[in-house]
Amino acid sequence: MNMVKNSSLIQMKGVTKEYIPRKWFFSKDQSRVVALNEVDLSIKKGEIFGLVGQSGSGKTTLGRLLVRLEEPTSGSISLKGSLINTLKGPSLKDFRSKVQMIFQDPYQSLNPHLSIAQTIGEPLVVQGIGNTRQRRSKVLHTLEIVGLSPGQDFYDRYPHQLSGGQRQRVAIARAIVLEPEFIVADEPTSMLDATIAIQLFTLLLQIRETFNMTILFITHNLAAANYLCDRIGVIHEGCIVEVNTAKKIIGDPVHPYTKKLIRVQPCFDFNRG
Amino acid sequence: MALISIKNLSIGYQTKGGLLKAVDNISFEIEQGRPLGLVGESGCGKTTIGMTLMGLLPDNARILSGSIDFQNHDLTQLGEDQWRKIRGKDIAMIFQAAMNALNPVMRVDEQVIEAIVTHKPGISPGDLDKRVKELFDLVEIPRIRMKDYPHEYSGGMKQRVIIAMALACNPQLIIADEPTTALDVIVQDQILQEIRSLQMIMDTGLIFISHDIAVVASVCRDICVMYGGQIVEMGTREEVFGTPCHPYTKTLLGSYLSLNNEWKVIIPTMRKAPDLTLKSGCCRFAVNCKICSNAGTSGIPSWINISKTHRALCCSEGIIRKKK
Ligand SMILES: Nc1ncnc2c1ncn2[C@@H]1O[C@H](COP(=O)(O)OP(=O)(O)OP(=O)(O)O)[C@@H](O)[C@H]1O
Ligand SMILES: Nc1ncnc2c1ncn2[C@@H]1O[C@H](COP(=O)(O)OP(=O)(O)OP(=O)(O)O)[C@@H](O)[C@H]1O
Ligand SMILES: [Mg+2]
Ligand SMILES: [Mg+2]
Repeated sequence: MNMVKNSSLIQMKGVTKEYIPRKWFFSKDQSRVVALNEVDLSIKKGEIFGLVGQSGSGKTTLGRLLVRLEEPTSGSISLKGSLINTLKGPSLKDFRSKVQMIFQDPYQSLNPHLSIAQTIGEPLVVQGIGNTRQRRSKVLHTLEIVGLSPGQDFYDRYPHQLSGGQRQRVAIARAIVLEPEFIVADEPTSMLDATIAIQLFTLLLQIRETFNMTILFITHNLAAANYLCDRIGVIHEGCIVEVNTAKKIIGDPVHPYTKKLIRVQPCFDFNRG
Repeated sequence: MALISIKNLSIGYQTKGGLLKAVDNISFEIEQGRPLGLVGESGCGKTTIGMTLMGLLPDNARILSGSIDFQNHDLTQLGEDQWRKIRGKDIAMIFQAAMNALNPVMRVDEQVIEAIVTHKPGISPGDLDKRVKELFDLVEIPRIRMKDYPHEYSGGMKQRVIIAMALACNPQLIIADEPTTALDVIVQDQILQEIRSLQMIMDTGLIFISHDIAVVASVCRDICVMYGGQIVEMGTREEVFGTPCHPYTKTLLGSYLSLNNEWKVIIPTMRKAPDLTLKSGCCRFAVNCKICSNAGTSGIPSWINISKTHRALCCSEGIIRKKK
């Protein structure tokens, strides 16, 4: 039960993740990659939290830890107060239904042997939701929601028969089909043009409104983070270096890295009104 | 003379639902040293054009009509043997999301070496080593990580390897399909600068595909805007982005988010996807077009010249005067 409104949904305490690359030559200490370094972070229920940072700074790693695709080297992560790395059996299955990830690269994350219908319908099947007909209409509806319309045109296709941005929208559809409580969206619109990206942002805002869904929005695009997020965290070399409201981060950045990030945002100006 | 010239090209995919004309009657030319930017909606046919220029269309695709002139050949007529001599050497492509094309069980530097050796079998070990290091420096991957496996790289680092591989053989025409999509803005900035300067030094032809108008504008002087398989507007970047005429171009520009315009962006209502089964020559944008729905036009657009270099494909002459 949620006792306090605005209480934190997700909490990370002192989370470190190290990778030890398997090298054939004498492994020196420096070859160890510290992807996350003592990260403390808490995300409130119903919040859209933006995570921005340079390539390799640890954004995806953080997301994967939160949905328990990986275990931290040290530190703890909890969802609604209970530690996620001790979940087993039915409570793990329950966790999997409440927490979804939109993966960064839809070329890699979509199974090439599954049709679009199977891809999006799979979470429904795993969770035992609805009968065949109900699932079909749910999948078609979700396709329309992400702008793959008419849904029938895409239903029986396979990932390789879709463009990059269409695959990305299938990945989004798969993540929202269960109406989860928490979504890690790893660069969910990186391949989409402005018209479609903004429609999907509007969609995410609507879903948040309707289901009080919580979103971790990982991106390189500060303008998108600014548009969508309540708060933004800036991650640099595995450390969260600044967390603040979106307005503050953009208007009054503190950390030098944040300032640099704002300076290099692509701007677009051809003297238009 | 144009390096490559594409005339009335149409490409279709055979699907259960019928023939999808993913590319409908497009024409454009590329000059050496004058990069052309292709922008447009997700699914509008950008990658399909790139794949056609590499001779890599999938089995269910067919060139329906048109020609592609490159070095006195019509590329639409080539067989696989002839393609093998051109592909990767004269025409190279940075594939969209190619980072998953990296071989997971092969060290990254070996894969770059392979890209070089395929087309330069006679290269000396010394030159090869030098070239590999050069390429890693160019895309700013620390040499200490050259011997890593792809899974040890972040998404951005993998994409940089892919760019290095496409540059390996100094091709004449490079098709860069969303080459910076996976990169953070800081690295994107560097890579775009790199692409610009390489382009000047090597004087290659470049087709730069992106969904991001700011990225395209930073590299390309000429712009083609695509919608639903058709080129709907073309001109210099100042013309197309400064005084857009086609209603789709206007929507695209109006919905572009930047750091200080969040209150001004236009959120288009979820529009109907373009119908790719339409007869060739019909306006694909008409279902979403205010001009057409108000005026009840024919739905058969024609090219409207706005300047010598700037034109738009539309059913209404009015678009010229309505520019903002
Ligand atoms: N399985 C792994 N083995 C070894 N190192 C890894 C592994 N996964 C990630 N890393 C390393 O951890 C660091 C953080 O990677 P991560 O993918 O989280 O970055 P990111 O911020 O998501 O970058 P991008 O914006 O490019 O996607 C990188 O240096 C990466 O090389
Ligand atoms: N093998 C295929 N079979 C059937 N349809 C296909 C196939 N490949 C692509 N398509 C369709 O052709 C259209 C054009 O696809 P293409 O990949 O060229 O788009 P794109 O402009 O590159 O889009 P994006 O920016 O999203 O990558 C899309 O509607 C897509 O669904
Ligand atoms: Mg990542
Ligand atoms: Mg594409």
